[in-house]
Amino acid sequence: MQECEKELRKVAEKLLAEKKVDLIIGYEEGSLPIRTRPVFIQETGETSRLVWNSRCESNLCSYLKTIKGRVGIVAKGCDIRSIVGLVKEKQIKREDVFIIAVPCAGIIDRKKIEDILDGRELLEGVENDSQILLKGEGFEEKVDKDKLVHASCKSCGHRNPVLYDTLIGKEISQPEIGECSDLEEFASKPGDERWAYLNSEAAECIRCYACRNVCPACYCPQCFVDQSLPTWFGRTPHPSDSLIFHMIRTLHTAGRCVDCGACSRVCPMNIELRMLNKKAEKDVKELYHYEAGINLEELPPMATFKMDDPQEFIK
Amino acid sequence: MNDLYRPRLVTIRKTVIENEARDIKTFELVFLEQKDREKFKFDCGQFAMLSVPGAGESPIGIASSPLDDEYLHFTVKRYSTGVVTTALHGLEEESQIGVRGPYGNFYPLKAMQDKNILIVGGGFAFTTLRSTIRYLLHDKNRSRFKDITVFYGARSPGELIYKSELKEWEKRGDVNMYVTVDRGEESWKGRVGLVPNVLKEAAPSSENSMALVCGPPIMLKYTMPPLLDLGFSPERIITSMERRMSCGIGKCGRCNIASKFVCKDGPVFTYKELRDLPEAAV
Amino acid sequence: MKEKIIKKEQIGSWLEGLGKDYEIWAPVKKKGLVHFHHIESTKEIHFDFLNSKKTPKDLFFPQSEVLFSFAKEEVETTPQKARIIFAIRPCDAKSLALLDQVFDSEDYQDPYYVQRREGTLLLGMACTHPQRSCFCTSVKGGPFEKAHLDLLMADLGDGRYFVEALTERGEDLMEKDDSLQDPQKEERGKLAKVKEEAEKKVKSKLAMEGLEKKLDEIFDSSFWDRVHQKCLGCGICTYLCSTCHCFALLDEKDKCGVQRVRSWDSCMFPEFTLEASGHNPRISNRERMRQRVMHKFNYFVKRYGETACVGCGRCIQNCPVNMDIREIIEEIENERPLPS
Repeated sequence: MQECEKELRKVAEKLLAEKKVDLIIGYEEGSLPIRTRPVFIQETGETSRLVWNSRCESNLCSYLKTIKGRVGIVAKGCDIRSIVGLVKEKQIKREDVFIIAVPCAGIIDRKKIEDILDGRELLEGVENDSQILLKGEGFEEKVDKDKLVHASCKSCGHRNPVLYDTLIGKEISQPEIGECSDLEEFASKPGDERWAYLNSEAAECIRCYACRNVCPACYCPQCFVDQSLPTWFGRTPHPSDSLIFHMIRTLHTAGRCVDCGACSRVCPMNIELRMLNKKAEKDVKELYHYEAGINLEELPPMATFKMDDPQEFIK
Repeated sequence: MNDLYRPRLVTIRKTVIENEARDIKTFELVFLEQKDREKFKFDCGQFAMLSVPGAGESPIGIASSPLDDEYLHFTVKRYSTGVVTTALHGLEEESQIGVRGPYGNFYPLKAMQDKNILIVGGGFAFTTLRSTIRYLLHDKNRSRFKDITVFYGARSPGELIYKSELKEWEKRGDVNMYVTVDRGEESWKGRVGLVPNVLKEAAPSSENSMALVCGPPIMLKYTMPPLLDLGFSPERIITSMERRMSCGIGKCGRCNIASKFVCKDGPVFTYKELRDLPEAAV
Repeated sequence: MKEKIIKKEQIGSWLEGLGKDYEIWAPVKKKGLVHFHHIESTKEIHFDFLNSKKTPKDLFFPQSEVLFSFAKEEVETTPQKARIIFAIRPCDAKSLALLDQVFDSEDYQDPYYVQRREGTLLLGMACTHPQRSCFCTSVKGGPFEKAHLDLLMADLGDGRYFVEALTERGEDLMEKDDSLQDPQKEERGKLAKVKEEAEKKVKSKLAMEGLEKKLDEIFDSSFWDRVHQKCLGCGICTYLCSTCHCFALLDEKDKCGVQRVRSWDSCMFPEFTLEASGHNPRISNRERMRQRVMHKFNYFVKRYGETACVGCGRCIQNCPVNMDIREIIEEIENERPLPS
């Protein structure tokens, strides 16, 4: 991992020095223990700020929506699939993005660390290849990283980049990923139990829209949420309005969501509505044999019509 | 519990379509209860929040004079993306809506006594100036002010608002009217020219004068320099600002231009105050 | 004013006694997050927390509330039982005093807010473990700050709490309970030590002197182009901030007709200042980030004489991209003013 970081910095420095890009978007260490955050680098010499580790959590591709010029972006497997999606939907030009692919075996979920801490303050986190050492006042605990990895990473079928301009390090092993067991378990529950769960999650929503803003697939200049004519649903965090917001966002991102998990990571209220996205993903795969962001050639099914599109739902 | 946010009910007694594009309408509103009208004491330049239940509220400048004590006039432009203005324009006479106010500060007419007054307006931004002109020209008030000169223009003759009043004022000997249009038409026998240019040409004196200026940002941009050239100091140029509002009383934090709330510290500001205010973009 | 000692295991029965006359709101852990809820039983109280996720401001200024219904003639007052908020932190109590400046001002008193404020007692809990992201001492606060509370409790670390009444209403709460003992010199000594240790733990120190003036000087600086870059423009910092209070008035329809609702809003959202004509004076994230910082550290100071920030650190902890207001303030201090 340390090797990758060194190589990443060298590559970034060279790209800026040779003026192949105007800007590098990557990760740097944050101002709180174990936090990393996005960094925008334009000057050579600043690239020593770049880091690459199991804590690099945001999906940086949401910034591609507004950045101009040629951008070098540090991208994990899921991020790269987002980029493929954005290029396919003509939001960015392929030649404007220099994909610096980093091999990713999974990013830790800070919420799992919060659960372990159970109210204790984390003062320092030290990471090695397999573990994180959590240190605080009067405690030191080693935790295996694979216990901390985010659910989206556990079900990731694309650790290695589907597309790139340069690869940092080498491709890593890709375990076989079957059906999403979380979804299977959820889908097997009776309808009213699932409905009750979705409602109780949505009731916690404070409508901060962090999930929407961090999502690379959400780039509408005017989101349906902000439309006043017509006003699609109420602005207040009434549970039914919040649930509608999440359901419609799921439908809008169906066939486009790559399950990077950014939406679930940024939610301050620990809402877990990933099942909605996973279900949409499964349906798209079954109906249209399509997986989002795998290659630039396949046409996005939600924006394409074919005569042989399945129609069993028309009764 | 005081009804801080609750509007008082009014009936739309009359509506007048002011312009050719039919998107500017004047509403004549009568309070359901006379005591509400008595409580609604206002000064020229102030605004009120007009409420269309189900649609929302919109801050609109008061277009009638404080001395028109039976009714209130509000001239509202309908925007295709405006929920409230669209709903308002769709209402028939006799409909009931709500009014909350009056809010904001007002034109400093006391300070303008015994002075010459220059009024400059453009397009739709003439509503509170109309309130002011009506008030100044009233028998009770006229003698307290010296010369009154009005420059008013619109893009085309059809877009001039308060057409009948403009004609009446042109006939009067106690006010100098310069009505103009950006582009004329065959039937238009009046002046053609942009307001700032007509102003420059007429070159009203700035001696013992104050100016009230209301217009779209582009008009303000080209009107301020000639006024300054004519010798109007920035403290003597008064204008009115707009921002999106919610509460109208300085609580919701929405309408600020830097440290000033347009609903409370404004909407009336002097040009000097605006030049010193970041974010005012004047 | 009255000072007492209470054992931790007696707190439950003390609050239960008070529960006859007051509704008790206390920190409760639900779905891994601590927030102030109305409790039916004192067993629900969660003691070991650094600070609540959401601030208790929504107990006075709810995220959404119906102001009135158009169908009903009079504005209805809902009679409310008096409330006690147990274990509110000094920073959050201070934030309520800042909100008072807005909602309970000389010219307009917001009846909804004022009624809740008057009917609520604040039973504060000192912070024996301020977080690294806390900077209350830089904004005239502190982990054991007594201002704006009715009572302050402090964990002495030995299973007992020091309790001090700070107002008459606070003294009333200590009146009838036998489980409260008088403190001895030794306990006062312990309190002083615990306080000193807590204050040492507030490591973040910001230079706030001259910040207001500096902000005036750099309003048009390119500084703002850099600051906003990472920001996603979501509402987390606003909604989890103790002092943010911007709101929208909305009309919502339900079975009973049309209601006017007040709902939180955020200056970080693009449509906050969007006008019907399509003009938006704060067209990009740059202007909105600048507005947020200017409002808290300049405009509010000009209007009310105080910084609209209590240093609770929630914005730092919860920002998805780790924007850190402490770093922003430091950068502002170091930024060269533009030539005038």
